[in-house]
Amino acid sequence: MYQKALLGIVLFPLIGAIANGVFGRKAGRNVVHAVAVLSVACSFALALYAFGSLLHLRYGQGEEAASITYTAYEWFSLSLNHRTLSIPVRFVMDSLSGVMTLVVTGIGLLIHIYSTGYMSEEPSYARFFAYLNLFTASMLILILGSSLPVMFVGWEGVGVCSYLLIGFWYENPNYAAAGRKAFVANRIGDFGVILGMFLLATAANSLEFTDINELAHVRPTQFTSALALGPQGAPFWVIPSISLATAATLFLFLGCTGKSAQLPLYVWLPDAMAGPTPVSALIHAATMVTSGIYLVCRLSPVFALAPATMAVMAIIGAVTALMAASVGLVQNDIKKILAYSTVSQLGFMFAAVGCGAFAAGFMHVYTHAFFKACLFLGAGSVMHAVGAHGDADIRTLGGLRKYMPLTNVTFLVSCLAIAGVPLFSGFFSKDEILVGVLSSAGYFSFAPWLAPTVFGMLVLGATMTAFYMFRLYFLTFSGEFRGGPVHETHAPAAGAHGDHGDHEDERHDHDAAHDHDHGHAHHEPHESPPSMTIPLIVLGVGAVFAGYVWIGIVHFEPWVKWLEPSLGSIHAEHGHATPYIAMAFGLLAAVVGIGLAFQFYYKGSEVPAKLATQFGGLHRLLMDKWRVDELYDATVLAGSRGLARLCAAFDKYVVDGILTHVSSQAVASLSFLFTRFQTGLVHAYGAVMAVGLFFVAFHFVVPHADPAVVGDPTGLSVELAANQGLGYEYRWDFDADGRFDTEWSNDSKAEHAFSDADIVRFAVVFEGAGYGARPRTLVVAPKQEIKVSSGALTRIMTRGELSLDELGESWQRGEDAAAPLIKADEQGLLIKPRGARVRKAGAVQPADAEVRVSRGEHVSIGEARLSVSGYVKPRVQVRNAFGMERTESVGVVVPKVPPRITAEIAAVQGSK
Amino acid sequence: MTTEPSHLLSLLCGLPLLAALAVLFTPRQMAGFIRGFTVFVMVLTFVLSLRLLGADYGTAAMQFSERHVLVPAYGVTYSLGIDGMSLWLVLLTTFITPLATYASWTHIETKLKEYALSMLLLESAMLGAFFALDVLLFYVFWELMLVPMLLIIGIWGGVQRVYAAVKFFLFTMVGSLLMLVAILYLVQQFKEQTGHYSFELRELKLLLLPATTQLWLFSAFALAFAIKVPMFPVHTWLPDAHVQAPTGGSVILAAVMLKLGTYGFLRFAMPLFPSGSHRASSTLALLAVIGIIYGAYCAWVQPDVKKLVAYSSVSHLGFVMLGIYSLSSHGLRGSILQMVNHGISTGALFLLVGVIYERRHTRLLDDFGGLAKVMPNFTVIFVIVTMSSIGLPTTNGFVGEFMILAGAFMSETLGRHGPIACFFAATGVILAAIYMLHAVLKMFWGPLTNHENRDLPDLTRREHLVLAPLVALIFYIGLFPNPLLKPMSASVDRFSLEYLAKLRAGDQNPEARGMLQESFVPAGATAAVKVPDGALAVGGAR
Repeated sequence: MYQKALLGIVLFPLIGAIANGVFGRKAGRNVVHAVAVLSVACSFALALYAFGSLLHLRYGQGEEAASITYTAYEWFSLSLNHRTLSIPVRFVMDSLSGVMTLVVTGIGLLIHIYSTGYMSEEPSYARFFAYLNLFTASMLILILGSSLPVMFVGWEGVGVCSYLLIGFWYENPNYAAAGRKAFVANRIGDFGVILGMFLLATAANSLEFTDINELAHVRPTQFTSALALGPQGAPFWVIPSISLATAATLFLFLGCTGKSAQLPLYVWLPDAMAGPTPVSALIHAATMVTSGIYLVCRLSPVFALAPATMAVMAIIGAVTALMAASVGLVQNDIKKILAYSTVSQLGFMFAAVGCGAFAAGFMHVYTHAFFKACLFLGAGSVMHAVGAHGDADIRTLGGLRKYMPLTNVTFLVSCLAIAGVPLFSGFFSKDEILVGVLSSAGYFSFAPWLAPTVFGMLVLGATMTAFYMFRLYFLTFSGEFRGGPVHETHAPAAGAHGDHGDHEDERHDHDAAHDHDHGHAHHEPHESPPSMTIPLIVLGVGAVFAGYVWIGIVHFEPWVKWLEPSLGSIHAEHGHATPYIAMAFGLLAAVVGIGLAFQFYYKGSEVPAKLATQFGGLHRLLMDKWRVDELYDATVLAGSRGLARLCAAFDKYVVDGILTHVSSQAVASLSFLFTRFQTGLVHAYGAVMAVGLFFVAFHFVVPHADPAVVGDPTGLSVELAANQGLGYEYRWDFDADGRFDTEWSNDSKAEHAFSDADIVRFAVVFEGAGYGARPRTLVVAPKQEIKVSSGALTRIMTRGELSLDELGESWQRGEDAAAPLIKADEQGLLIKPRGARVRKAGAVQPADAEVRVSRGEHVSIGEARLSVSGYVKPRVQVRNAFGMERTESVGVVVPKVPPRITAEIAAVQGSK
Repeated sequence: MTTEPSHLLSLLCGLPLLAALAVLFTPRQMAGFIRGFTVFVMVLTFVLSLRLLGADYGTAAMQFSERHVLVPAYGVTYSLGIDGMSLWLVLLTTFITPLATYASWTHIETKLKEYALSMLLLESAMLGAFFALDVLLFYVFWELMLVPMLLIIGIWGGVQRVYAAVKFFLFTMVGSLLMLVAILYLVQQFKEQTGHYSFELRELKLLLLPATTQLWLFSAFALAFAIKVPMFPVHTWLPDAHVQAPTGGSVILAAVMLKLGTYGFLRFAMPLFPSGSHRASSTLALLAVIGIIYGAYCAWVQPDVKKLVAYSSVSHLGFVMLGIYSLSSHGLRGSILQMVNHGISTGALFLLVGVIYERRHTRLLDDFGGLAKVMPNFTVIFVIVTMSSIGLPTTNGFVGEFMILAGAFMSETLGRHGPIACFFAATGVILAAIYMLHAVLKMFWGPLTNHENRDLPDLTRREHLVLAPLVALIFYIGLFPNPLLKPMSASVDRFSLEYLAKLRAGDQNPEARGMLQESFVPAGATAAVKVPDGALAVGGAR
């Protein structure tokens, strides 16, 4: 029963999406949001039910690795190592996905409710909710999918919804471009996921998470063996020798950097703030962007086997955390600060999971979902209140505490949580991350500097976080209201920090309807309607207490215990003091950060302005977000665009040019040539004819016999034939002794039986090893030697020698075997095998024997075969009607020894 | 195996032909009748073709086979049949043709009768090419296809239609003629070894030729098919042909005719010349991967949306070729599925481009922008088809691409080159998103600046009717690909087993290599083929 709930969890939002997508345009607003909210509410209820069942299985029935599985049907199948690898549409809820499902459906529900207020004036109301529902469904598929491909459905699905929602106000080209940027950055990541998936599949013969993880536990060598990629024998710097686990996890991590906005692919997330604020809260803060961490946790047993990847993750996470936090310090747009804060917090999570603190990283996913969603919704509430949509400059706000008490309180607790103030949820997760990072020193034995460095960066990042969050808070809520955003003066105000093309700042009239609806910018700010404040309150409560659900005040054992069956682990040790060191630094960070912000922005100080002028270059760099976008534009984007133009031009001028123009030119020039022969001028034809006739006549005057052997001589009797011609007469000298054996005759054919005495030379037919080799005929006279040597084959062949290579791989009998000696005498060949494996009549000959190979016999040396025949070279003299004579000769092999294949075929056919 | 004689295939192939004859004798004034009758016959053909699903595809044997000897002295036969490899391509043909024809009635104003005639002839020829199991018969249908398509592009096409039509015709002819030479040589070899002529595929397949000879013959076949696919670098006829062709022609060209190239590899070139094919496999896989990336890059900067879609075909068909040369079960099945998918999604894209072209008489991306405001339904369908084209999961494109990439990655024949090929092919996934979303961005998002676009009507009922089944199929195949994949399995497995077995036979018998003068008895050849589990029953049944 509860298995089916999993299907319901996914299907309800999907049905809601389809219903609103198809019929929403005609339905009323109430129907639209009723459908949307109810579908997610049902999903949430089912999630609670399923989670309850999971708790019951775990604690009621004592199943340690409790999970709920629902298999819908077989999607498709692959075949791997000659076995069928079925890919079913299957959903699994275990301790990890259970928590995540609750977070997504719960926060999703709140944000759906919030949106009914926030988006109430939106003309495309139904479209918005259809997208939002579709996103929820995709996210749930991502979480609940039991295998990599099913997860990938959700993974790409959330990407598309993100694309559609960022570009929700598509009429603004910048918003639409931001959507595309997000999609493409995600796709670069998806490319990594696909390859990582295949690598894991080849190792585990399965794509199910449980199978892969179990194998990683049971037979880690399956993953840690070196990867055989690339051309064989390629030097290591072409294909570095890395383990399969490292390669697979690096590819997967590439996917995570795309989805979870880490370096180098994070650039889409700040731009993604172009979407409506509830979207920023749900997708670009609480849920979708954390799916990278979720994936790492999901496959944590495999990740734990790849310390190199873990190190990369930890470093990238820490650098991202620090870099994004530094940008957050100076930004003035409320959503932009929150966006960089999200990037930074995601960096914290990756630093945590990179250091093997999977439970701590995932804990931060969970607490972050509450306080960051609350912050975004609070920001939305602020913008709603002051009539800004999409962006609000905090320098124009202030004093909102008076007007919006509820928003103020919830925003404040969330700021306290994200700053890591003790007893708020963020404190616990951040603290555990710091502990986890410090404890991982033993794991990174190859880089002892890693854990302390990451720790230091994170503490610095945490300090910055506390600072910029409270800068945001104080500037927005404390002091006096500074009048709110003024649309007329907006553009110059935005340009105050230079003219470096911050195109988001130009988006002020995305929708005529919005301008109209929020044209009350100069009115006093007001608190938002209950549909918006209630979610704020719930999330604010979560931001305070979310940590306690799992935590025995100092330690977070219950959380770890709960997740243990789902997560992998590394060997991490920490001393007794470590938690206290971490906590001390965490506290210090919070106190310093908040204190500075209080000093600068609550009390009002000249220091920030002074700092900004004193470090003008750095300040501008931070304002410009380190100019990473500009860097990408100038390098990667310009490069690939240039490549695309190059390809198109190449196609037009080179490929098509060769195929059409060159070929048609070739035909044209040939036809030009041939038309010269068709001039119609009789004297030209006559001249050509005369030349032709001359050659024909010459051919007749000079006789040519071209003697050849008729058939394959089986014995010593050979039939010879010469060319026929005008009045030809022939006489033959069969034994090539200079005296003609026949008289002149008209018969072009002759037959002669050679006697043994005639045969003074031998034809040695040599068939080398391997089937590529063509048989070779060497002509030897008595006492002549056939050398067997090593060296370049072509040179050996032209000298009429044999190559050791041609004997195949196993011609040697011993270690330092000498090449055989082959010599001809009057009877045939004499072979001294020496070190070579010489077989005659099937028997291997001793090394010092003299193996005789007479005419018609054959031996094999190694894999090659030598057969001996006689060789004669009869001559023929021909005389034509004009009395001109000419002598020609032809080499004849008698008798022709059939090649070995014929012999083998005969053997095969004989055996049947 | 269907043992009782069936004439279904002849009927399917003959029905449009007869209808064409009927149209020929209809006065051209009866335009309404011609329109209705043509579509009716095509729909009837589709309905009849659904009966093909009734056969048992659990075996690899040919279904609905028909065989009549046409020229006994030269072994030319009229033999037809389908199996799991051609089933869905046949259904795709009978499904897409009426849609394309129906959609083009509003656009075709002159010489309606001739247009109907061409479409009917084209359908007949395409079906014949899919059914034919005799190389000469196949060749006849293969060439017959060219004529109506030449007319469709050359008469009802755009401004440069004659150039495009001639280019299309010459490119394909060059390849086909070489193929004809190869066919004749092959049959001559067969005669030398067995003493009688035969053009029948199942007999010719038994011939084991020396590897070098195979390579030459394979190259001739492969060139003909590669031009049709089209593979890099012989693809340049395609953008011109597509841009100039009328909507109906483009749809048929993309959806069905290109598939005959890939189908030709599967049905003829590879089974006839495994050793030759094997020697060329790395090259072809490389060209396929180049095609994927190169086609995508070219598509990205095209100013004309139809040209963009045309180049995307080069990229997509690169995936299909890569899957074929992975020679793994799922790579092959993925390829065949992807042929169908490409037919559906690219067919739909051309229909959509036709819709906007009919309204605006331009296809330049710069002329559009903000269309989502005025044509919401059009936008929704375009975006869905785009998602299918870039292989988003739950749409049909994903399953095919995924199986192909997995096939290349795990391919035994490509070996260590497999993962590398997969790596580069997978970048096509990124590029596809870039160029398709570029088109979407330019056409639909942004402000509605061009005043000519302000009053564009949304999709009409006729257009909805044409596009709806395609959208439904996009999701159906994406969610439930198994009903399509299952019937392929037996044929595909037999194909790869036979291919690999024949390859091994060539390797194990050096006498079959480099020995033209040694006659080789086919009976011995098949005896030498290792039969793993009786799957080669057809190979030995003579």
